[in-house]
Amino acid sequence: MSAGVWRDRVVLPLAGVVLVALVWQGIVALYRLPVVVLPEPWAVARTLAGLLPTAAFWRDVGVSVFEFAAGYSAGVVLGVGAGLLLGESRTFRLTASPVIEALRFIVPFAWIPLTVLWFGTSYTGKIVLVAYAVFFVMTVSTTRSIMQVDPTLTRVGTMLGMGRAALAFSVHLRAAAPAIASAARAAAAVGWIAVVAAEYIGASAGLGVMITNAATSLQTATVIAGMIAMGLIGAAVSAAVGWLARSRLDYR
Amino acid sequence: MSGAALAFEEISHHFGAGAERVDVLDRVSFDVPAGSVACVVGPSGCGKSTLLSLAAGLARPSAGTVRWDGREVRLGPNLDLGMAFQQPGLFPWLTVRQNVAIGLRTRGKAKAEALAVADEFLATVGLSEFLQAYPSQLSGGMAQRVGIARALALHPRLLLMDEPFAAVDAFTRIKLQQELKALLKRYAPTVVFVTHDVSEAIVLGDVIVAMTKRPAAVQRIIPVARQDRDRSSPAYATKLAEALACLGVTPESGGE
Repeated sequence: MSAGVWRDRVVLPLAGVVLVALVWQGIVALYRLPVVVLPEPWAVARTLAGLLPTAAFWRDVGVSVFEFAAGYSAGVVLGVGAGLLLGESRTFRLTASPVIEALRFIVPFAWIPLTVLWFGTSYTGKIVLVAYAVFFVMTVSTTRSIMQVDPTLTRVGTMLGMGRAALAFSVHLRAAAPAIASAARAAAAVGWIAVVAAEYIGASAGLGVMITNAATSLQTATVIAGMIAMGLIGAAVSAAVGWLARSRLDYR
Repeated sequence: MSGAALAFEEISHHFGAGAERVDVLDRVSFDVPAGSVACVVGPSGCGKSTLLSLAAGLARPSAGTVRWDGREVRLGPNLDLGMAFQQPGLFPWLTVRQNVAIGLRTRGKAKAEALAVADEFLATVGLSEFLQAYPSQLSGGMAQRVGIARALALHPRLLLMDEPFAAVDAFTRIKLQQELKALLKRYAPTVVFVTHDVSEAIVLGDVIVAMTKRPAAVQRIIPVARQDRDRSSPAYATKLAEALACLGVTPESGGE
């Protein structure tokens, strides 16, 4: 690694983390906060390191990631499908738009009581919730990007002999793919947030459950360690989706 | 496959409605006999491109009928058609040769055959070295030549070209005109060629259809004879002057 890369990739990002830890440490020292309110960063790091070798921790992570992956896949497939239909068919757009516009401003969290009622604390409720959150992000952005495809490409496709279906799949969807891929990355963040939030309220396993359980027994270091794990996993998921989308879909 | 007759019958067209209505075509009528070349010239923005869209079935005329091979042209794909657009509209996710081959694939050709035909026509327009390039790597003139190859590779019975050489340099332009003439002779499609270059219209056209400014009507149809096409002959100069006068320019003041 050259000096420049070393500085950009390692030194500066690390400096940011150290700075936050120092401020955190400073606050704890300045206000003499008890460990139940805010433990020192070092204690949290030790707790996190202690969690890593335990099977229980990985089971919680596994449950959350599974719920996310299932709901996210369903939400993306259904959302892109619905977005394509909305973008292609004026009749469908005029019929479905009022419903979609109304539903998409009911935030996923508003559905948590109902999903608990309907699905209990099973995985299904969380999967549905994630799919719901992801679906609207994908539908709205797919519709928009399909409708923004350069009309010249449609004319060219028609000239080449393509009917409506061929135009929709081979031209419009393909042309919109890079925009849909960026939306898929944004939707990953939304879906991950939905999973953990749902686990806070109605679940029997998962990162959210681990965190709420730790909080009720005042293990604040575990709460924060769980939060950090949540953030890291979310970032990793988002990066993975972004990488997948770029390598498979982006022709720019 | 050679061409069939194309007929514009009392075509009027407008965009928008009410106060924003713009009339672009006003009762345009002319015939393009099977296998002949009609060059449409006229002031820019007069509706020449619209006329081509109507012939291609990419839009419906507000009034009147376009007939291809005796049947009314309807919205939607027409497998007799090949068209080169002013903006070439290449698919950015496909390579140059895939862009040319995709129309042949749509028409049921096997992949290998489609690619072979694509390579042949890309050689014709001088792009053999760019088969694997992506559209974003091409200059405007090169992209336009890919668009021309894409239209010609379809062996269309009806070839519509919308200022296809506009972004091509003068040298390549003359070379492409010659190549196009040779191809037209070989396949004898029916051609409507839109240009604002009157000399190009004389070299390529059997007739020149001179349009008025918007809303465009047919001002005059000027037949072009074989001897008119020799750029060094007096007949060419006379024909050029005649066509330009029709468009309201004298050769001394006219640039194009």
